[in-house]
Amino acid sequence: MMPIRPTLHSPMRRTDRRAALARLGAGGLAALLLPLRAQTAFGLPQLTQLLSQAKSGEASFTETRTVSILEQTLKSSGRLSFAAPDTFVRETLKPRQEKVAVVGNKVTLSSGSRSRTVPLDSVPEAAVIMEAIRGTLTGNRELLERHFGATVSGNAQRWTLELVPLESRLQELVKSVQLTGQQALVREVVVAMADGDRSVMSIEPVTPSAKPASAAN
Amino acid sequence: MSDTGQRRGPFASRTVLVVWLVGVLAALGVTWRTHYVADLSAFLPSTPSAEQAVLLDQLRSGVAARLLLIGIEGGTREARSKASVQLARSLRQSGAFEAVHNGDKSEFESTGKFLFEHRYLLSPAVDAQRFSVEGLRAGIDEATSLLGTPAGAMIKPVILRDPTGETLRMAESMLPTQGPRSDGGVWVSRNADRAVLIATTQAQGADLDAQERSLQSVRDSFAPFAAQGLRLVLSGSGTFAVASRAQIKSEVERLAIAGGLAIVGILLLAFGGSLRTLFSALLPVGSGVLAGIAAVSLVFGNVHGITLGFGTTLIGEAVDYAIYYLIQARCVPGLAPGSGARKWLVDSWPTVRLGLLTSVCGFAALLFSGFPGLAQLGLFSMAGLAAAALTTRCIFPLLAPDGAPGVGLRRHLGRLVGRCTEVLPRARWPLAAIVVLAAAALVGLPSAWRGSLSSLSPVSAEKMKIDEDLRADVGATDSGTLVAVSAPDEAGVLAQAEAAGARLDRLVESGVINGYESPARILPSPGLQQRRRDALPDAATLSAHLNQATLDGPLPARRLGGFIDDVQAARRQPLLTLDSLKGSPLAPVLGAQILPGDATRPWRALLSLQAGSQGTDVARLRAALADLPGTQVVNIGSELGALYARYLHEATLQALLGALAVCVLLLLHLRSWQRLWRIAQPMGGAVLIVLAVMTASGVALGILHLVGLLLSVAIGSNYALFFDQIRMQQQALPDGAATVIDTDTLASLALANLTAVTSFCLLAFSSIPALFAVGQVVAPGILLSLLLSAAFIPLPRR
Repeated sequence: MMPIRPTLHSPMRRTDRRAALARLGAGGLAALLLPLRAQTAFGLPQLTQLLSQAKSGEASFTETRTVSILEQTLKSSGRLSFAAPDTFVRETLKPRQEKVAVVGNKVTLSSGSRSRTVPLDSVPEAAVIMEAIRGTLTGNRELLERHFGATVSGNAQRWTLELVPLESRLQELVKSVQLTGQQALVREVVVAMADGDRSVMSIEPVTPSAKPASAAN
Repeated sequence: MSDTGQRRGPFASRTVLVVWLVGVLAALGVTWRTHYVADLSAFLPSTPSAEQAVLLDQLRSGVAARLLLIGIEGGTREARSKASVQLARSLRQSGAFEAVHNGDKSEFESTGKFLFEHRYLLSPAVDAQRFSVEGLRAGIDEATSLLGTPAGAMIKPVILRDPTGETLRMAESMLPTQGPRSDGGVWVSRNADRAVLIATTQAQGADLDAQERSLQSVRDSFAPFAAQGLRLVLSGSGTFAVASRAQIKSEVERLAIAGGLAIVGILLLAFGGSLRTLFSALLPVGSGVLAGIAAVSLVFGNVHGITLGFGTTLIGEAVDYAIYYLIQARCVPGLAPGSGARKWLVDSWPTVRLGLLTSVCGFAALLFSGFPGLAQLGLFSMAGLAAAALTTRCIFPLLAPDGAPGVGLRRHLGRLVGRCTEVLPRARWPLAAIVVLAAAALVGLPSAWRGSLSSLSPVSAEKMKIDEDLRADVGATDSGTLVAVSAPDEAGVLAQAEAAGARLDRLVESGVINGYESPARILPSPGLQQRRRDALPDAATLSAHLNQATLDGPLPARRLGGFIDDVQAARRQPLLTLDSLKGSPLAPVLGAQILPGDATRPWRALLSLQAGSQGTDVARLRAALADLPGTQVVNIGSELGALYARYLHEATLQALLGALAVCVLLLLHLRSWQRLWRIAQPMGGAVLIVLAVMTASGVALGILHLVGLLLSVAIGSNYALFFDQIRMQQQALPDGAATVIDTDTLASLALANLTAVTSFCLLAFSSIPALFAVGQVVAPGILLSLLLSAAFIPLPRR
C-alpha cells in the first residue's frame, strides 16, 4: 500500500486511532488522506476509479520476450480488446495467428485451426496474468486486491501499478506484473517471471476510426 | 380329500411334520446365507436394446458406479486445502481406492513422466509432416511462443528434449475441458467454499459390503479434520446404494416389528389371549416368508431389499390362511373331537386352495417379466403364499385339529359382518353407481401412469442436490448424451472411437456440440500408434531437417541432441495397450470410458458429449454418425424414460395376462359364468375405485402400484370366493330349511381383512417409495374388496 502514515497527522485520540486503523483498507486510507494531500494523492482507488471509466477499448500491441533458454528475444504483435465487465481478447497476428479470449470464467485458446475452451479458474497459473490485465483494464479494484499486492506510484498523467501475486504458489511462477499508463489507458505491461524471464508489451490505443488500418497489418 | 387327517396313522402325521420341519430348516439355512442387494439395477431389464445395454453396463459395472464424490466444507480455505491434501494421501495409502484425485499436481509426477516418455505415440500432432523442415519449424515456433509466460512454465524444463511441444499437445487433448476450479493447489467448488475430491473405489459398484467399507475408510480418515470443525460431504452411486440398503433394512425391520406387533395384538384380542393360537397363527406367516426368501435366493442368487420389504406384506396375507383355519375349523358342538379339521378340509380348503391358485396365477405373470426385480417379487409371493397355505393345510390339522379354542372378539366380529351382509347388499346399486362413476372418471381423466424409474429410488431430493452440486464442482456433469461404439476387441473399439471422434471433431467445429471426451484421446488405437511410430525419422534425417528448421530460430539445433535421442528411442518403443497402463492414474479414466467385452458381449467405448449452446441436436448427431458400424447415440434421459415406459408396459401386459389367467382358472373351477361374474364384480369394482381415487388425487402411478393392484386382487379374491362359497352352501340347503348364516366364516373374513389392512396401512407410512406405493394401493383395495363382496354377493335370506 501507499507509504504514508496518515495517523501521524491525525488529531484523533489514541483509542479512536486504533479503531480507525482497524478499519483501514486501502479505501479508508485514501479517504483519510484526501483532505490532507488532495492535490498529489494518487493511489489504487483513484487509479481504478480512473480506469473503470473506460468501458471498452481496442489497442494494438507489440511484445518482446526475453527467455533465458532461448538465444533470441521473441517478438510478437497483435491486437487487444476488452469490454467491461469481464471480456478480454488478445489476438496475436505475428509471427503466428493465436488468440486468447477470456469471457467471465471461460478462456478460449485458439491456435491455427485448433481451439479449446477451459474454465479460467481451473488453471490458476494462467489466470494470474489474465486477472492482472483484466482487473486493471476494467478498474476492478476488488479483483486486483484479491489476487495481488498492488502498489501505485506516479500520477494520473503517468502512473505505474505494480502487482505482486499474493499466493506463494503463484509467486513461484510470477514475480510481478507492472503496468504503466496514462489516464485511463494502459501503455505498457511488463511481466517479470520468477525465473528471470521477462516480457514487455507496449500498447498503442486504436481509435475506432483507425481500427481498420491496424487490423490490416 | 374327504378322508385326509383321520385315516392317517401317527406315522404319517409324523412324516408330514418332519418333512415340514426339514423344509423350514432348509429355507432357514438358505435365508441365512442369502446375499441382499439394494441397487436399482435389479429393476432394469435383462434383455435390453442396444442403447439400453450401454446404459446398463454403465449402471452395473461402469466406473460411474464406483465413483465417490467427496466435499470438504467449513473452516478456512487453508484448512480445507490442507485437509484435501492429507485426506487424499491417506485414501491413496488405504488401498481401498483405485484412484483419488484432488487436483494436487504433485501426485501426477509419475504419470507426467510416463506420458512424456510416450509422447511420440500419444501426441495427436505426430505424423510424417511433423518431422519435415516446415513441420519442425511450426512446432518449435508454437512451443517457444509460450515460453516466458506462466503457461510456458510446464514446457520450459523440457523444451530441449521436446522442442515441438508434444507434451502440450498431449495435455490439450487429454485434460478435461470442464476442469474444476483450482485454488491453493487443490480442486475447489466454483465459489471456492468447498474443497472437492473424486475417488474411484476398488470395490465394484454392486458389492455393497465393500462399498460400505470404502465409505467408512473415508469417514475414518476424515475424523481428525472433523475434530477441527470441517465437514465431510459424500455422494456418488455407491453412497446412494449403501444408504438405500441401510434405509430399506431398517425400514423393513421396523415394519416387520410394527406389523408383527399389530397383528399379534389383533390375534390375541380375536382369540381371547390364547398364546398357543397366536403361535399357530404365526406359523404360516413365518414359513411363507422363509420359503419366499429361500426360493428367490436359490433362483436369483440374491434377494433385493425391495423384495424383502414386500415380503413383510406377506404377513398380512399369510396370516389370513391361519385365521380362516383357526376360526372355521372350530369343532361343531356334538361332533367328535378332531372332526373340525376334517370339516374345514372339506368345506373351506377348496376355497382357500382356489384363492391360493388365483393369487399364484396373478403373480406368475410377474415371473416372466424381463426385469429381475419384478420377477423376484412374483416368485417371492408365489413361494410364500404356497408355503403358507400348505403349512395351514398340512400342519394345522395336526397341531390344532379343532381350530382355535378362544372366543374373544370373534363373536362380535361375526355379528358385525353379519350385520354388514344385511346392510351392504341394499346399497349395491349406489355402490355399483360409484364403480361406474370411477370407471368413467378413469376414462375421462388423463392417465396417471407416469411414474419414473427414479420413483423406485429411495434417494431423497436433498441428496440428489448434493450430488448434482459436487458433480458440477468437479466438472463431472455432462449433457446426458453418449456416443457408444462397440467392437470385438480392444484395438477395434479404440479404432472405432477414433473414427467417431473424427466425425465429432467436425461437429465441434460447426458448433453442434461443444466438445467430447474419448478414450482414444488417452489411448490411441494400436493402428494409430503404429502410424505415428512409423512417421518418426531416423537420426540422420531428423538431424538434417532440424538444422534447416532452426536456422535463424531461437533454439539452435546443436542444443537439441536430446530431442533426436528421444525420437530414436521412441522408434523402438512397444505400442501402448490398456494392460500397459494398468496402475497408472490414466487407468481409471480409461476404465470409465472403456468397458471390456467378453465371450458374450462386445468391447464398448463411451464418448461423452458436452452440449452445444442450444443443447445437443441429437438428430444431427445421429446423422453424422449414421454410417459408422457399431456406433450408437445414447441419450441417457430418454433411454431411462423409454426403459421405464417399456417396464410399465410389460408389467401392465403381464398383470392383464395374470388377470385373464385368474378368470380362466376360476371358470374352470366354478364351471359357471354366472359365479365368475359374481366374483369378478367386487374385484373389478375395488380396482376401479382405487385407481380412480388415486388418479383424481394426482398420484403418479408406477410399477409398484400395479403390483399392489395385483396383490389386492389376489387377497380380495379370497373374500369373494368365501362369500360365494357361503352363498352356494345356503342355496344347497333344502327348501324351507332355516338358513343359518355361517358367522364364523364371516368373522374369519373380517379378522383376515383387519390384519391385512393393518399391515398394508403400515406400509403406506413407509418412507421407501416402493413400499409406500404398495401400501397405498393394497390397504384401501382389500378393504373395498371385502365390502363390495358383501354388497355384490348377497347371501340368500328368508
